[in-house]
Amino acid sequence: MKKIVSFFKSFLLLELLKGMSVTGRYFFAPHITVQYPDEKTPQGFRFRGLHAQRRYENGEERCIGCKLCEAVCPALAIHIEVAEREDGTRRTTRYDIDLMKCIFCGFCEESCPVDAIVETRIYEYHGEKRGDLYYTKPMLLAVGDKYEEQIAKDRAADAKYR
Amino acid sequence: MINIEIDGKKIATESGSTVIEAAHEAGIYIPHFCYHKKLSIAANCRMCLVEVEKAPKPLPACATPVAEGMKVHTNSAQAVKAQKGVMEFLLVNHPLDCPICDQGGECELQDLAVGYGASASRYQEEKRVVLPKDIGPLVSAEEMSRCINCTRCVRFGQEIGGQMELGQAFRGEHAEIMSFLGEQVDSELSGNMIDLCPVGALTSKPFRYTARSWELSRRRSVSPHDGMGSNLAVQVKDNRVMRVLPLENEEINECWLSDKDRFSYEALSAPERLTRPMVRQDGKWQEVSWQVALEYVANGLSQISGGAGAAHIGALATPHSTLEELYLLQKLLRGIGSSNVDFRLRQSDFSMDGKQAGVPWLGMPLAEINNADRFLLVGSFLRKDHPLLASRVRQAVKHGAQANVVHSADDDLLMHVANKAIVAPDAMVDLLAQILKALATEKQASVDAAVQGVSVGSEAAAIAASLAQGKNVAVLLGNFAQQHPQAAQLQLLAQQIATLAGGKFGFLGEAANSVGGYLAQAVPGAAGLNAGAMLAAPRKAYLLLNTEVELDCHDPQQAQAAMYAADMVVALSAYKHHASDYADVLLPIAPFTETSGTFINTEGRVQSFKGTVKPLGEARPAWKVLRVLGNLLKLPGFDYDDSESVRDEALGGVAVAGKLNNGLSGITLQLPSAASSGLQRVSDVPIYAADAVVRRAASLQATHDAAVPRAVMHGEELKKLNLPPGSEVKLSQGAGSVRLNVAADDRLPLGVVRVAAGHAATAQLGAMFGTIVVEATSGSGA
Ligand code: SF4
Ligand code: SF4
Ligand code: SF4
Ligand code: FES
Repeated sequence: MKKIVSFFKSFLLLELLKGMSVTGRYFFAPHITVQYPDEKTPQGFRFRGLHAQRRYENGEERCIGCKLCEAVCPALAIHIEVAEREDGTRRTTRYDIDLMKCIFCGFCEESCPVDAIVETRIYEYHGEKRGDLYYTKPMLLAVGDKYEEQIAKDRAADAKYR
Repeated sequence: MINIEIDGKKIATESGSTVIEAAHEAGIYIPHFCYHKKLSIAANCRMCLVEVEKAPKPLPACATPVAEGMKVHTNSAQAVKAQKGVMEFLLVNHPLDCPICDQGGECELQDLAVGYGASASRYQEEKRVVLPKDIGPLVSAEEMSRCINCTRCVRFGQEIGGQMELGQAFRGEHAEIMSFLGEQVDSELSGNMIDLCPVGALTSKPFRYTARSWELSRRRSVSPHDGMGSNLAVQVKDNRVMRVLPLENEEINECWLSDKDRFSYEALSAPERLTRPMVRQDGKWQEVSWQVALEYVANGLSQISGGAGAAHIGALATPHSTLEELYLLQKLLRGIGSSNVDFRLRQSDFSMDGKQAGVPWLGMPLAEINNADRFLLVGSFLRKDHPLLASRVRQAVKHGAQANVVHSADDDLLMHVANKAIVAPDAMVDLLAQILKALATEKQASVDAAVQGVSVGSEAAAIAASLAQGKNVAVLLGNFAQQHPQAAQLQLLAQQIATLAGGKFGFLGEAANSVGGYLAQAVPGAAGLNAGAMLAAPRKAYLLLNTEVELDCHDPQQAQAAMYAADMVVALSAYKHHASDYADVLLPIAPFTETSGTFINTEGRVQSFKGTVKPLGEARPAWKVLRVLGNLLKLPGFDYDDSESVRDEALGGVAVAGKLNNGLSGITLQLPSAASSGLQRVSDVPIYAADAVVRRAASLQATHDAAVPRAVMHGEELKKLNLPPGSEVKLSQGAGSVRLNVAADDRLPLGVVRVAAGHAATAQLGAMFGTIVVEATSGSGA
């Protein structure tokens, strides 16, 4: 009996048709491959990309140098130095994130009591030499200044789950 | 003994103790804020509420004495509910600004809020705001809204510090901690309030915002300042000392630290640190390598010892140097054939040398000071010279002891002084003789013939009467008495007084190694010149270890003259200082945090410590520098691998206790014949001018105690000279003179001028004792 079945199968090309049908089905099905960089995947508001330091509306930097992000960072990617500014407030004199070490876990953002350090939706950044991905305070503030609108929108969207 | 039960655990405890003490002894933790084992009970925070069976409501464990058969529950539903309730109330007005608070990470409120606080506050109304206060350079009271009004700081001032620097004003919600009329809080013990404050209301100003508690590693060390040898927890980050906290040691510093010990760390990274060896070539300082510098020194020393003779080489070290440094310094000197080595730089009377039975020391363990019931404090600026020892005396006086003072100045000791005799320095010997005579009469004992002739004054009689009643008398000789030109006579008399009173006699060690210096044999012995003689008869070469001659020596004028006249001066110092004017070589050495070493405190306790951070720049531990110098000079026995082997060799494997002895033999009592004429100088060494490290501690230098010295005289003396207080005068001693402002202090005896020593402003003057001329300057109103 087995022999008869395989005999018919072999010259009716049933296996081939089966395979082709899968191909055919996917051929006409809607396509999900994203043609990066022409196309981009959609992002959620919790996307964890490049870090930024935010400011308040009046231009004052948010970070108060509490060092919680430095303490929580599992990759030891953050380095902070703090001093008293002339006006008596606690401020960082140095705030560095080594993005080569960072694992984009988002803990820093979560630990921050004033929403100063955030991870933005940006993932398209690069460095051409070693050290380019060592982000310092001015660089992080610049990222924050540039994308503040989007950052604020994302925090607002997330607020009700926090 | 009383038997109680806490959380089902049966505990036998002493009657009179409180529930919280019994629980902590048994290892059961009861949350608390206002309770502190060294302070009185205030019971105002209510965090320690516990359930006691048969009591109608929760009771505060800190204020509830134990009673037989008491059953306590610290964790029952009622107790926990009470504790949570208290915590909610405490947090109602707390700003919850932990992220910017320096106490964050080591805060008792923060820790307990994790256990007893709710995750969100039910309080929506406005919080209380307490305005920030500026209370001086040491303690920050910028965020007084954080205060939970536990009053620990207030009680510390009243009970331990002896001076209520902070108090609570207003009531209820308006209660505020503040200093009196905007006064600074910078007494010699004020830093302890920072440790005591359970929240971040009082924090350290020099440490402010510089590091978080979790970033710091703690390393053990010993304070190099006064003779106590307080134990330190040095906190380090990135190879830099960030702050210093007390390390609890019940036998020495308990849980306290003087401000000098606590804040002097700032000087460790001061810009004046010397970081490279320097040699003067053709009048110009040049940075050189260690090799060059040490060879230069070795050549110079061998030339002088080969030419003029080794006796023309002298070495002066401060008693703040470690045992190892002092030992190697004297070994080096003796190796090249000179015994001119001394560490007693501020001493002026050396007549007891060779007549001492052993190493002079406190004469009793530090802890025993609390048990004394009569004190005779001779010539001591006790509070400023020995802040924590003063606090022990204060505790004893609180518990009924009587303090008697013989001195040339009457600074407030912040304790009740039963009797005092404030006399000019040259009358001190006579005064002690009076006390001795009066005491002999009281005790009906025979006494040295030399004192028979003195006539006993009322002050001396009162002191003798007080001492005669004592069961546990302590006669202590302070720094001033040890620096006195008749120190041996003072010692002899004080010792006889102590013997007659059946008490103990001792010296208050001036510095960390005042005892250690003797044990390291850093004294000349019979063959060499002592610190005074070495400067009076200038040598051709000097080795200075940690010494700034114009500030550390008894007679800065003479010392500087000797330095300028010398052919070669080698300064081993952690700092660039005045030596650059007269020295030929500057060798950068490591201060106490950067070297291993040993201090032997005034009670003879040997305390070794390790370095806490790496030496700054090219500075090196002085014992290593001296060892290499020994090698370069081809001296035998300079092959040590570590400082421990130096220490073991210095101590010779014999217990230190056996070498301590204040006995003096072969000195006869000689009372001074006539009082000297003219104004006499009385010198204190201001607390923040006493050694090289504190002199450069920025915050300490901003306190009242570090103000520019003034010439202080009795009001009558000022009138006699027709000088209005505040006017400028010219003070001269020998060839040198300085200009200072005068001030009146009617507590000083007549015929004296009090002028601080150890300060740059008075470095051109002569000896710490002796006559001094005061003249009005043309500018002043005379
Ligand atoms: S995302 Fe995670 S790994 Fe990266 S800096 Fe923040 S805490 Fe560190
Ligand atoms: S970024 Fe946020 S968590 Fe990090 S130090 Fe600044 S305030 Fe603190
Ligand atoms: S300042 Fe600190 S120690 Fe003083 S009462 Fe307030 S909380 Fe207590
Ligand atoms: S600790 Fe008992 S009431 Fe404060």
